[in-house]
Amino acid sequence: MRTSRERDLRQMRIFLWGSVLTLLATSVGWAQRNNSVVEAHAVMATDAGHADAPLEIAVLAQVAAGYHINEHKPSLDYLIPTELKVDPGDQFTVKNVVYPKGTLKRFAFSDVPLSVYEGAVVVGALLQVGKAVPAGTYSLKAKFAYQACNDHACLPPSSVPLIVAIRIVPRNVPLKSVESDVFQRIKFE
Amino acid sequence: MEEQTPEEEQTPFENTPQAPKTPEGSPQENGPAPKSKLFAGALLAVTLVVGLYYLNRYWISPAVRAQTKSDSSHPLAPPFSLTDIAGQPVKLSDYQGKVVVLDFWATWCGPCRIEIPSFIELQKRYAAQGFTMIGISMDDSPEPVVDFYKEFQMNYPVAVGNDRLGELYGGMEGLPTTFLIGRDGRIYAKHMGATDPSVFETEIKELLAVSPAAEVKDFHQAGHIFDEDKVALGDPSVIDSEVPGVDLTKLTADQKEAYKKLLDSKPCTCGCKLTSLKCRQVDRKCGISRKLAQDQLDAFLKPKSSGVTTQ
Repeated sequence: MRTSRERDLRQMRIFLWGSVLTLLATSVGWAQRNNSVVEAHAVMATDAGHADAPLEIAVLAQVAAGYHINEHKPSLDYLIPTELKVDPGDQFTVKNVVYPKGTLKRFAFSDVPLSVYEGAVVVGALLQVGKAVPAGTYSLKAKFAYQACNDHACLPPSSVPLIVAIRIVPRNVPLKSVESDVFQRIKFE
Repeated sequence: MEEQTPEEEQTPFENTPQAPKTPEGSPQENGPAPKSKLFAGALLAVTLVVGLYYLNRYWISPAVRAQTKSDSSHPLAPPFSLTDIAGQPVKLSDYQGKVVVLDFWATWCGPCRIEIPSFIELQKRYAAQGFTMIGISMDDSPEPVVDFYKEFQMNYPVAVGNDRLGELYGGMEGLPTTFLIGRDGRIYAKHMGATDPSVFETEIKELLAVSPAAEVKDFHQAGHIFDEDKVALGDPSVIDSEVPGVDLTKLTADQKEAYKKLLDSKPCTCGCKLTSLKCRQVDRKCGISRKLAQDQLDAFLKPKSSGVTTQ
């Protein structure tokens, strides 16, 4: 059985290594952070879709700590909005894209608080599958476009390319809900 | 469940003063270390690490860098020739003999906008002494820049730049990025991010005080110097390569053609619907095509013995 002392020493070692690693991570320059300021991937609300029926997808984006991206409806005219650009192809049409409300935050460079996204961001897209789309798997392409800043500098506008593999199955094949915790947060109305 | 030792039952205040009273052995030798000491040790170690980190970042590194800088030459600012938003030519070479603050900025960048009034003020204050501000906007089009120029009543030349120019100056990892260029055309300082105007003023005054032809060997960059402030210019042979951003100098003419053909057969995955080659040529900023092109080049240059074909 591990003694209390061993446990304490182990905890201390973990704590110390954690602190050292945190400091090393802090010292990593902009160049490295630039490439991964925003990461994003897309998920579907169901495991497949039916022809002539709606289909919900969500983009889960993660903004790196210390950075923000502008709300879809930014506080000031000159700011570049966050946008989900969906290329529906021939099989789908985009009915609605739903963005979250930003958080009002003060920054050293602005006299007024700005509405921004930080941390986890969930954007929903409501699609309609075409009437005559035969069963099969289709690639839906999209881009999560953003422009990120921290408190003292901004990165050039950028985007994360997204590809969602959408399986269309015959109407008699039931659909299974997935990622329900994500889609509960999105109001497509 | 783990057993609790008698030491753990003591409060830190009861335990700490007793430790020196056991000369025959420290608590470590006699049994489990008191929690309070372990945490005090951990706290001390973390404080030490944090202290050393900041000591290095704010004191040792700048001093070492300043020392290094004083011993080495400052790089010559890459020349450029643009047209400003008023239609006038802006050539860096026309400012030889002047101190120049070259500001890469954009109208969509809040930290850039907040610096502009102080740049206008510096222009007013030091233009007569041989100083000029030059603004290089990284906006996609001149329209918002023209509006901004009028609204803020800017008093120095502003041109819309391009990605190539940004790359020549080392790549615009963040805006604003500002370079201080001496009378001799050399870059003496780089500041990434919004910077206190007093930093620029200190540096401008130092460079204005020297003769045009001489390199200022002992120039010291003002303010804190961060890693991202290191001047590292782009390599024109890579920037102006047939596959922009990829160094093709190691390839023969035939290899270059074969490599370009290969790249032109690979689709770019950034969503542009172009081949990797075309994407690289029309969108220099695209990091995805840059990586694809570099990976293909690495594979192309691998020795054939590794089993990777070069065609």
